[in-house]
Amino acid sequence: MNLDWAWIERNLSMIGSLLVEHVVLSLVPVVIAFVISLPLGYLVSKTRRVANVLLAFLGVIYSVPSLALFVLMPLMLGTQILNPINIIVALAIYSIALLVRSVVDGLRSVPTPVKQSASAVGYGWPRRLFRVEMPLAMPVIFAGLRVVTVSNIALVSVAVLIGSGALGKLFDLGFGSNFYTPIIVGLVLTLALALIADAFLLLIQRGTLPWFRKRAVA
Amino acid sequence: MNLFDYLTDPANWQGPGGIWYLLLQHIGYTVAAVAIAAAVGIPLGIVIGHTNRGSFLVIGLSNAARAIPTLGLLVLVVLLLGTGVGPIIGVLAVLALPPILTATAAGIRGADHDAVHAARAVGMSARQIVGKVEWPLALPLVISGLRSATLQVVATATVAAYSSGGGLGRLLITGNATRNYSEMFAGAFLVALLAIVLDVLLGALGWLAGRHAHPASKRSAARQQSALDLAA
Amino acid sequence: MKIKQSLVGVGLGLAALLLAACGGTTDPLGEASAPQPSESAAASAPIVVGSADFTESKILAEIYSQALKAKGVESSTKLGIGSREIYIKALQDQSISAVPEYTGNLLLYFDANATATTAAEVEKALPAALPSDLKLLKSSAAVDQDVYVVTKEFSAQHGITSLEDLQKIASTSTLGGPPELEERAYGPPGLEKIYGAKFKAFVPYPKYPPKISDLDNNKIQVATFFTTDAIIAEKGYVQLEDPQSMILPQNVVPLVRSDVAENQTAVTALEAVQGALTTEELMQLDKKVDTDRQDPAQVAGEWLKSKSLA
Repeated sequence: MNLDWAWIERNLSMIGSLLVEHVVLSLVPVVIAFVISLPLGYLVSKTRRVANVLLAFLGVIYSVPSLALFVLMPLMLGTQILNPINIIVALAIYSIALLVRSVVDGLRSVPTPVKQSASAVGYGWPRRLFRVEMPLAMPVIFAGLRVVTVSNIALVSVAVLIGSGALGKLFDLGFGSNFYTPIIVGLVLTLALALIADAFLLLIQRGTLPWFRKRAVA
Repeated sequence: MNLFDYLTDPANWQGPGGIWYLLLQHIGYTVAAVAIAAAVGIPLGIVIGHTNRGSFLVIGLSNAARAIPTLGLLVLVVLLLGTGVGPIIGVLAVLALPPILTATAAGIRGADHDAVHAARAVGMSARQIVGKVEWPLALPLVISGLRSATLQVVATATVAAYSSGGGLGRLLITGNATRNYSEMFAGAFLVALLAIVLDVLLGALGWLAGRHAHPASKRSAARQQSALDLAA
Repeated sequence: MKIKQSLVGVGLGLAALLLAACGGTTDPLGEASAPQPSESAAASAPIVVGSADFTESKILAEIYSQALKAKGVESSTKLGIGSREIYIKALQDQSISAVPEYTGNLLLYFDANATATTAAEVEKALPAALPSDLKLLKSSAAVDQDVYVVTKEFSAQHGITSLEDLQKIASTSTLGGPPELEERAYGPPGLEKIYGAKFKAFVPYPKYPPKISDLDNNKIQVATFFTTDAIIAEKGYVQLEDPQSMILPQNVVPLVRSDVAENQTAVTALEAVQGALTTEELMQLDKKVDTDRQDPAQVAGEWLKSKSLA
């Protein structure tokens, strides 16, 4: 096996910058998608008919492979193929397609009696939404958020096929020179990043929604 | 430059390396990988769902498996074992396993408890309970798991071309190397189209299975469906 | 009802994809992907040496850049930009000012119908083919060109030592090479036109290791490499002769922007490097990076020191 652990030390700065690039390319889309999906999901959840149309539409978008979306992005954005914006926007669209569904499912999972009680004790709609519905919907939304985050982190490296791909470049490097060290470094860092991001989301969820501690684990 | 130039030139569709050939390769990889993952994931999922044992470990592991970058795994396996269809299908099957396994386990475990209890009361054996009650009830979820596995595999099978295994990814790689965007577009377009067609087909299959499993209550099928979408 | 609504959604999704597809009028690969040009590339500006995306080009770029620095010219590198299509654009929009090139393929890039075949003819034809803002410095004796190879066993078994012999086996054989080879004048189109060899199939190999293992395992029968690749000697591959000069001579040469060509210190520094380079040394430099996994910058620095150029 072609291994050389000293290689890691010699290339620390390159590995570091690829890691940063990977974090940006995979997580910025999650943040964008979260910010857009909350209001969009809320609006959708209010209108059953439009909701079904939109959810089916997002289902189609979600089924478009991410790599295909990377390639198609320049057409919609007028960017160059190597521009990292393509990957960010493509993954954001992809994330929105999944998260809107989570938001809708989450809001719909709030039992009607709970909503009625909130109204009965005099909550107006904004207060009912932010104090009752959203918090109760959050476990479902967080489940979606975690899926999106982990899959984004795993997906970015595929962009190597079109000359980008952050940590995926380590796979490219190792594959090109029959050299295992960069490949293993890339695999370990990608997995670690996904697990840390996932654990981080779990922590936020438990910190902000303590009353779900028991149920959220399942 | 016209985007559809590459797709509309009949010469590009024929011969080894032509679009038909690559499309068939792509479908072949997808079907083989999903079939292998199903052969492993469905029985395992049934056992876990039925006995409710080991579910934490297996579901946890299979969730972690989602984080594996398929490209990295592929180059590692190809360098170790050489090129060929075996490593490609194997790596794609690893990708397809988690959604199938989780969906099957969730479907079996989520089977209507009243129905399961009734089956036990009339004296059905464990085998009969699984085969005649839990499995039919779980089927819509299982199909939904197969559906999301298929989507992921279709999308990711593009990496086969990176290890010179062909498939639609080849159009992306060659198009990128020769700065032929029309060729790259052809690859992306066909992969997307294939994904959508397979999604609609499996969606229809799931809908039929759902009607079969819950002839009386459409609503509970829908609820189960959305629970599964999250699980998968 | 739900089905109808879902179908509308699916239809909308497909329509959106088609719209997106038709909306594109620009070619995302057409322009340089490099940053915007700076307004003034004065002689005092640092000389950015770019490179293509393979080992030898990266080493040469490092050598040029470090040789410039040794003579007091400010310089930096931008390695692994991509294929020729991309780095030529980067030169023209001034995001880089110099790049290591190879004479024959450069000529073909600017003049696909070039008739030159010998090194001297290529050299003579080049200046006229270049756009006015680009200049070539002195070319080196060091040569690195594409070469077709077969395994020793295959060569012995079928009596193949030259591209002329390929027509005997082409219809039942598979050719492997980098993805872009498929459309190059010295790729399958040239083999068919010049040597009458039409292969059963072409397999694109983005990377070396699968190509090498497939060639060794007879999954492909003919493959292309570069003459400076250490693997050819290591594996004892038979390099096929090219009696019709389908592959043009490829001498290493710096391609620079015209403002660099006017900077006498820079030109002197680069031409001293050109004079010292040989094919043999190129192979050793490549081997240090490819096989021994040394850093291109370090390999370049050591070589310059050994030649007293830095």
